[in-house]
Amino acid sequence: MEEKKTLTCYRCNVELKAQKTYFEYLGHSFHADVLRCPECGEVYIPEDLAKGRIAEVEMQLEDK
Amino acid sequence: MEKFKEKIKTCLQNEPAFCTAACPFGLDIRDFIPKIKRGAFNAAYRSYLNAVGFPGIVAQICHQPCKDVCPRRFKDQAVAMRLLERAAIDYARNLNPNSYNLPAKNKRIAVIGAGISGLGCALRLASKKYDVTVFEKSDRIGGHLWNLLSPEIFLAEIERQFMYEEYTLLLNTQIKSLDQLDFDAVYVATGSKGTDFGLRPGAGGAFASTRPGVFLGGELCGSNIIEAIADGLNVTKAIERYIKTGGMNQPPEQRGTKIQLKPDFITPMEQVLPDKGDPFTKDHAMKEAKRCLLCACDACIRHCDLMRYYGKFPRRIGEEVEITVHPGTLDGDGTVATRLISTCNQCGLCKEVCPQGIDSGNLLLQSHRAMRQKGAMPWAFHDFWLRDMEFTNSDEAALCRLPGWYTESRYVFFPGCQLGASDPRYVTESYRLLKAHHPDTALMLSCCGAPAEWAGEGPIHNEVIEKLRRDWVSLGKPIVVFACSTCYEMFGKNLPEVRGVLLYNLIAELGISPSKDGEGETVSVFDPCTSRNESGLHQAVRDIAGMAGFSLQRLPYEGKYARCCSWGGQVSAANPSFAREVVKVRIAQNDHPYIAYCANCRDIFASAGKKCYHILDVVFGINDAERKPPTLTERRYNRAQLKRRLLKEYWNEKSEEEQMENKVKLYISPELRQKLSDEMLLETDIEKVVEHCETSGRKVVDKGTNSYTGHLMIGNMTYWAEYRKKDDGFELLNAYGHRMKIEED
Repeated sequence: MEEKKTLTCYRCNVELKAQKTYFEYLGHSFHADVLRCPECGEVYIPEDLAKGRIAEVEMQLEDK
Repeated sequence: MEKFKEKIKTCLQNEPAFCTAACPFGLDIRDFIPKIKRGAFNAAYRSYLNAVGFPGIVAQICHQPCKDVCPRRFKDQAVAMRLLERAAIDYARNLNPNSYNLPAKNKRIAVIGAGISGLGCALRLASKKYDVTVFEKSDRIGGHLWNLLSPEIFLAEIERQFMYEEYTLLLNTQIKSLDQLDFDAVYVATGSKGTDFGLRPGAGGAFASTRPGVFLGGELCGSNIIEAIADGLNVTKAIERYIKTGGMNQPPEQRGTKIQLKPDFITPMEQVLPDKGDPFTKDHAMKEAKRCLLCACDACIRHCDLMRYYGKFPRRIGEEVEITVHPGTLDGDGTVATRLISTCNQCGLCKEVCPQGIDSGNLLLQSHRAMRQKGAMPWAFHDFWLRDMEFTNSDEAALCRLPGWYTESRYVFFPGCQLGASDPRYVTESYRLLKAHHPDTALMLSCCGAPAEWAGEGPIHNEVIEKLRRDWVSLGKPIVVFACSTCYEMFGKNLPEVRGVLLYNLIAELGISPSKDGEGETVSVFDPCTSRNESGLHQAVRDIAGMAGFSLQRLPYEGKYARCCSWGGQVSAANPSFAREVVKVRIAQNDHPYIAYCANCRDIFASAGKKCYHILDVVFGINDAERKPPTLTERRYNRAQLKRRLLKEYWNEKSEEEQMENKVKLYISPELRQKLSDEMLLETDIEKVVEHCETSGRKVVDKGTNSYTGHLMIGNMTYWAEYRKKDDGFELLNAYGHRMKIEED
């Protein structure tokens, strides 16, 4: 099994934590928990999230 | 859109099949045949029973008018309908009619004549629980059937169909005058030489006589035996109308069909014949049923990729588009067809194959524009290609020049945006050739505006067109030599004052010998959809290929019926699975390499693994059919490179070589390059992400792999890059993007 990644913010040198984050697409706004720097708010979205759930919601909104 | 609403009224989708229209019973072939095909003989029998009333009789004596109209007769033989009908009877589980438990109707109907027409009427009305009395002057029922069939067959069938029904049969009872009857309605079916009680057919209503409440039908009125049975079944509708409304005005059934079918598309299939006049076995019947074409006016859905993919006819598409563009919900949403509107390849085949000329493609183009104007079309569907057009028309790649000291030119070469993107030599070599024959030939490197038109971006499109017009005027209004039939079509539509010719026609006319030797290799010419109406062009390309020594094999869809390679309408961002499916179908038409003369067709097929030449590969002997197409990033690079090369060669101007490159140096593996291209990500954009991360320090560190990940929004898209330090630059490990915007404060 793949080891869990430890991700830190380059500027703040703090470990990223899951945090409520707002997204917007085609005039719709919503939120989800994604990894962010607790200090500066730098976001991290992995590829599987971008191509998975995010792409799915994008498609739903396009068809709405 | 209003025009479409009018036009769609002429759609023939609901017209009956030829055989159904010819059948006295109107047997719905599209219902009956599929049941036989899948071996559902009982279900097929029920359909047949409902249509003909007495299956055991009709299947024996029907004269099969259906066979005289079956389009298969032009190719092989008509479908053996009567044998199929008999098979439905032979293999049905249950031959008995349905028993309906209905309350009795307090109406009395007299039927004069116990022939099969009168009995048909009696059967239908008795099953609806009317009080029916049949008067027969002789001592037996069946009338004319006694001369046609063995009584064991027809009497048993009559008995079976009446098994659950009650009616009064008065044999040896001759009616001399209708005045002696006290009934709510009368059906006179006294046979070919029977009495008509001095009545004549009334005007207007089906089966109506001149006397209210009295109907005439069957062989008395000149019908043959099969039509007589159908009359008996159908007259009941007129009788019921009279009883309910007092009107004798049941509209006569409309016969005939307006559908048209081109026998060219019928694949011959051998008729299934039972041994020595035997009935069909189940397998025989199922096989014969497969020969049925289920004739319908469905050319659009058979030939158009979009309609087939969605399983929707133009009428349905029109309705869905209407409620999408003008939603009726309070929220103003319910945009059911947004993606469908954006999935049209704009190839024009729907209009070409429609016998009524219904242009669904144009409806989708107009509604695309309407949706865009409302801001209801997702930007992501066309963003990439609009940016690509912007690049083509930018200083990096666009050019409009007269050669040397000329002040105006007779010709200008307009290669279009994708020809030089595919291989700059296609353009440089063509220009060289044109200049050799016409030294004053000018050059325009630009986009024809198709991406803006397809995206429904009216104002952007107008800007592009106006710029093209100004450029063309500045060159002295020359004849434009097009290398791309889409550009040719777009100019024809938007700049009708411009006279255009196609490069390949010129090459053929000039009699230029192709450099490549085809060595007798069998290939197929793939006509681009935008060349549909250019028969001269189709021939010119075939002439060039023939001259090069290729042996040509026709494709099922070509010339007038050319189909889109999937590029048209730039639908891949809106509907990638549709685009993939279209490519798959296109390249599977045969196993031979294709010769395309649209750079997009060529590169799309080559990407999918199909060997494909561009006709200019043949003319100039440049590439082989397996050439891997450039990535999206390389396509941009090629365009910028092309401009630099042409400026240097023809105008002796040197321009900056480094324009395309960003400040950071990024190493990308060939596999990753391909992945980026497949996902419509440009390396230049990813370079910008890395540059942004490095200059701002906004990045996330994975200490385990010693790599960074960061993102940047460029235009509407958010791009992510995962990379690490390497030598004097960075190694890109991965990149991806999403359309959703992260709200970062």
